[in-house]
Amino acid sequence: MKSINTTTLKKFDLLFIAIAFVMLGYLVTFQRTTDFIIFCIFVVSYDLIYGYMGRLSFGHMLYLGTGAYATALFCDHVSSNPLLAILAGVVCSALLGAVLGPIVTRTTGACFALINLAFNQVGYFLVLIGFSSYTGGEDGMSAFFGNLGPINFNNKMTVYVFCLTIMLFVVYFVRRLTSSPFGILLLTIKENESRSQFLGYNTVIYKLIAFIISTGIAGLAGGLSILNYTYVTPSFIDPTRNVEVIFASLIGGAGSLYGALAGGITYMMISNYLPNYIQRWEMFLGIMLLILVFWFRAGVWGYLTRFSGKPGKEMGS
Amino acid sequence: MLLSVGKLNVFYGSAQVVSDVSLEVDQGEMIFLVGRNGAGKTTLLKTISGFLPSGSGKILFDGADINGKPSNELALMGMRYVFQDKRVFTQLTVRENIHLAAYPFKQKASEAEEKVVGIYPEIVRFMDKKAGGLSGGQRQLLLLGRALIGNPQLLLIDEPTEGLAAGIIDQVFRVLKMMKGQLAMLIVEQNLAVVSQLADRVYIMQEGQIPRELVSQADIQDQEQLEKYL
Repeated sequence: MKSINTTTLKKFDLLFIAIAFVMLGYLVTFQRTTDFIIFCIFVVSYDLIYGYMGRLSFGHMLYLGTGAYATALFCDHVSSNPLLAILAGVVCSALLGAVLGPIVTRTTGACFALINLAFNQVGYFLVLIGFSSYTGGEDGMSAFFGNLGPINFNNKMTVYVFCLTIMLFVVYFVRRLTSSPFGILLLTIKENESRSQFLGYNTVIYKLIAFIISTGIAGLAGGLSILNYTYVTPSFIDPTRNVEVIFASLIGGAGSLYGALAGGITYMMISNYLPNYIQRWEMFLGIMLLILVFWFRAGVWGYLTRFSGKPGKEMGS
Repeated sequence: MLLSVGKLNVFYGSAQVVSDVSLEVDQGEMIFLVGRNGAGKTTLLKTISGFLPSGSGKILFDGADINGKPSNELALMGMRYVFQDKRVFTQLTVRENIHLAAYPFKQKASEAEEKVVGIYPEIVRFMDKKAGGLSGGQRQLLLLGRALIGNPQLLLIDEPTEGLAAGIIDQVFRVLKMMKGQLAMLIVEQNLAVVSQLADRVYIMQEGQIPRELVSQADIQDQEQLEKYL
């Protein structure tokens, strides 16, 4: 099989990614591709804590939802400037990550997954019932963005270009982060945290920083979702939807930035188009997960890069 | 005294594994802990290094009470622990394994590499290979070299020659000999040939206690005598 030249890919990755998403736009419509892009940003945020740090979370929707609601509330009550509103979403999610992080990052395994799920449940019911006078409860709320100078954010093509640009920034940032000593340390925490501590690292702090960055990026995905849909409902924070990002991360190959993007696109293609042909398409996802777990643990990207001789390690080195 | 352990007790649940153990290691000394499997040697090292909590007793390192301090703080104070299982970070390259050990001490990456190459020159051939591909002996030499990064004062080494081929044991022996006198070492070892040739003093450990300390070179080099404690 012809190998994937990861060196070339790394050098021009942003260009390749941009071209791929433009082609995808022509293939599946640009509005739908905006959905794909936003979901990919969310998967990248999740992969930081799952793929790189080795902590499986069942509660990452909390941060996407927080970003979405914070953006919408900011837009409605403070300013309709889209950049400021999305920034508010990012800051609120990161702040929530900073508050909950010291609790959750001290745990591992099932405990980490379930504590995150518990917080997600609390957030969901706060949005649904506790703060329903602000969030619109089950009906959700709308957000109308103003123009940014001459840029009209009510134009779907503008939103597509904006989201794609933001995603390229996120990819660049996460690539720099994961190939830095900080990113390498995250990999060692995943492999053997106590040994990292014996090298002199206070791993609690590094895990917390990674968690806050991850939650901030998830909030960014939430904010962009509002820009795309102009409304938010409790489904944006629904804990049962965590399975989507977990699936995408596994499909693409956890611990790889390109894998996260590949997984995000693959999952969105399946969930958008398979229902047209198979009524209970979720069953197909279940079967796919079984196949991945038994035969392709490194995911789509890990499997492809195996033929280049650098399995699953194209980012950290 | 660099390391001073006084009346240390360690428990696994209700089972006492280390009982009233006292020992001392001075600057530059190479001290060996010898005893049968299950005598509590590894538990003792893990407790000194902050990996396990102690039930009671004192652990002083460079004059500071370190009992209960986390292992990352002890590393920054100048204590390193080389584990028995020879685990490196398998997903990282050898170079990344070395560099990672340099950052907390603000040592230059090139200096850190030099330090490891200094004790194991052949490692230059593997620098950009995944550390998971190294053999047990290569891993041990990498770990010993990596432990020297940041100029530690004390190395705790658990069974450095265990499970290694004879040729590699010679290499590890050569490295330990090279390091002797440069820093203090407390080593758990069952290879009596290594012990008798390198030890400044030997603590005998039996059933969680240290009933005997061998100080004279005549006693240390008497391998038949030492064998009785294994």
